[in-house]
Amino acid sequence: MLKLLQNEWMKLWNKKATWTMAILLVVGIAGMMGLTKWISTMEGNRAESGDVAAEGQADAPDWRVMAEAEHADISAQLAAPGLSDSRETDLKEELQIVEYRLAEGVEPHGSFSRQQMIKDSSGIATLAMLFAIIVAAGIVATEFSDGTIKMLLARPVKRWKVLTSKFAATALFGALLTLVGFVVSVVMSYLLFAADGGTELAVQGGEVTEVSVWTLTLYHLFLAFLNIIVYTTFAFMIGSVFRSGALAIGLSLFIFFTGNTVSALLSRYEIAKYLFFSHDLVALAQGMTFIEDVTLPFAAAVLGAYAAVFLIVSYLVFSKRDITA
Amino acid sequence: MANQAEPIVELKRLSKTIRGKKIIDDLNLQLYPGQVTGFLGPNGAGKTTTIRMMAGLMKPTSGEVFVAGKSVQNDLEAAMSNVGVIVENPEMYKYMTGYKNLVHFARMHRGVTKKRIMEVVRQVGLENRIHEKVGTYSLGMRQRLGLAQALLHDPKFLILDEPTNGLDPAGIREFRTYLRSLAEKAGVSIFVSSHLLSEIELMCDRIAVIQNGKLIDIREMKGDTRPHHYIEAQPADQLKAVLESKGYEPVESGAGFIIEEGTERIPELAKSVIAGGLNLYAVRPHRKTLEDEFIEMTGGGQIAETAAK
Repeated sequence: MLKLLQNEWMKLWNKKATWTMAILLVVGIAGMMGLTKWISTMEGNRAESGDVAAEGQADAPDWRVMAEAEHADISAQLAAPGLSDSRETDLKEELQIVEYRLAEGVEPHGSFSRQQMIKDSSGIATLAMLFAIIVAAGIVATEFSDGTIKMLLARPVKRWKVLTSKFAATALFGALLTLVGFVVSVVMSYLLFAADGGTELAVQGGEVTEVSVWTLTLYHLFLAFLNIIVYTTFAFMIGSVFRSGALAIGLSLFIFFTGNTVSALLSRYEIAKYLFFSHDLVALAQGMTFIEDVTLPFAAAVLGAYAAVFLIVSYLVFSKRDITA
Repeated sequence: MANQAEPIVELKRLSKTIRGKKIIDDLNLQLYPGQVTGFLGPNGAGKTTTIRMMAGLMKPTSGEVFVAGKSVQNDLEAAMSNVGVIVENPEMYKYMTGYKNLVHFARMHRGVTKKRIMEVVRQVGLENRIHEKVGTYSLGMRQRLGLAQALLHDPKFLILDEPTNGLDPAGIREFRTYLRSLAEKAGVSIFVSSHLLSEIELMCDRIAVIQNGKLIDIREMKGDTRPHHYIEAQPADQLKAVLESKGYEPVESGAGFIIEEGTERIPELAKSVIAGGLNLYAVRPHRKTLEDEFIEMTGGGQIAETAAK
C-alpha cells in the first residue's frame, strides 16, 4: 500500500501543474501579506499626518474606545428579540470578554500586529483548498483520459487499494499545502510585522482565560483542513464517477464559490443545516454563522457524513466499473 | 505442440452482456505453456472484450478466467501476479521518464528489483533513451516500453493486444524473434491478438478465431500441411476437364486452378496436360495462407452487428 502511495506521490510531483500550484500558493500568500503590510503603512502615515498626537499615547485610549463601542453594540444585539439560543450564548461570551478587557485593562492585539497576522493565517486554507480540489478532481480522472488506467489496473493489486492510495495522496497533498501555506504566513508575519503587547482571550467553562495565539491558530488550521477534506472528497468522487477532471474541478469550484450564497439564501429553511457547503468550521469556531442553532460538533457531524457518502460512492463505482478506456 | 501439458490459462464458459447485447457468448479456451496462440477475429467480434476480461479490466457476466489455477475474478492478486499485459496502445505516463514509468509499475508487483528493471530495459533495447520523458518517444519506442512493463515480473502468461502497431519492419521482426524465444526458452504462454494475419502466421503455434462473440475455430498452425499445387494452362476449361478426369477437385484461383496434390504425381500430370495439346504456363507448389483460411472461416469477415469496444 505504501508503494502505491509512493507511486501516486511520484506521479503528482512529476506534473508541472503541481509545482505551479505550490509556487502560486507561496507567492500568493507572501504577496497578500506584503499587501497588508503596505496598507498598514499607508494607514499609519495617514494617522500621523492627520493627528499630531504622540504615538505611545494615541494607541492606549484607542482600544478602550473601540472596546466600549463593541460593548454597546453587543448589548444592543442581546436586547433585540428573537435571538436563537446559540447566538445568544456567543454574544454573551463576547460581552464577557469585552467586559473583562475593560475591567482588567487587558489590551487586544492590534489589527496589524504580528500575533493578529499569525491568527489570520488560517485564511491560507482557502487557497490550499482550491489547489487540493484541482488535484483531487484529476487524480483518478486523468488516468482514464490518458488511457493509463488499463496499465494501472491490469496488475495484481485490488482496485480499492489503488483508489485508497489515490485518496491518501490527495489528502496528503492538501495537508502539505496547508502546512506550507501556514509556514509561509508565519515567516512573513515575523519578517513584516511587529509584535504588540496584546493578549488573546477566550471563555472556557464560564471563565475568561488567556489563550495562546499558536494554539488557537493550529486549532483553526485543523478545522480548515477538515473542510478541505470534505471538498476534496467531493471532487474526488466526481472525478472517479464521471472520469472527467474538468467536470470535477468545475463542479467543486462552483460549489466552493457559490455555496455560501446558496446556503445564505436557504438559511431560513431547515435544509440549509444539512448541506455540506453551509458549514465553514473555522467561521463557526470564531462565532460567525448565519444559520441558526448550528454548533461546531453538529457541523462536523454533517461534514463527516457527507465525506463518508462521497467516499463510499467513489469506491463502489471504481471497483465495479468495466475499464473500456 | 505440447498440448499434453496442463493448460496455464483457462477461459471457462465466459460470457459478457453489455446493455442487453451478448458481446461474448460462452467462450471456452485453454492456453498452454511455451505456446504462442494467435487471437483472430473481424472487427467487433469481441477480441478486446475477451482480452480485457482476461486482464481483470472487465468483469464477465458469467464464467471465469483462470491463470495458473487462480481465478482472475475471485483471486485477482494471485492470478494477475502471473500475467503481463499490453492492452492496445501501451499508454504510459508521458510526463515521466521511461525509467520512472517502469519503477511505477514495478512497485505494483512483488520482488522486482532495480537490477531487473535495467535487465528488461536492455532486453527491449531502450537503454539509451530510458531516462527521457515518454512524451518524446516514438510509437515504436512506446511499444518497446510497453513490452518492458509487461515483462518486469517474469510473467508466465503474456497477453498482447495488437503488439506490433507502430513498429517498423525490423522492429516487428525483432519483436517476433523475441516472443518466440520467450515461449520456447522460458516456457511463457503468449496470447496475441492482431489484425496483421501474416504476423500471426509467422509468430503463432496455434490460432483461435472468434466471430460474433463465439469461438468458431481453434487450430494448430502446422496442422494443415496437406500439400497443394497451382496449375495454369490454356484453354482453362479443357484443363479443368483434364483435372477432373484425373479425380481432382480443382478450385479456381486467378487464371488457373488449385488442386490438392503432393510433388510425386506432378510430372505425370504435367505430361498428360501437354499430351492433351494444352499450353502449360505454370505449375507450382501452393501454400494456403492464413488469410485464405481466415476468410474461409469467417466468411469474409463482416463486422458484427454488436460492435464491442
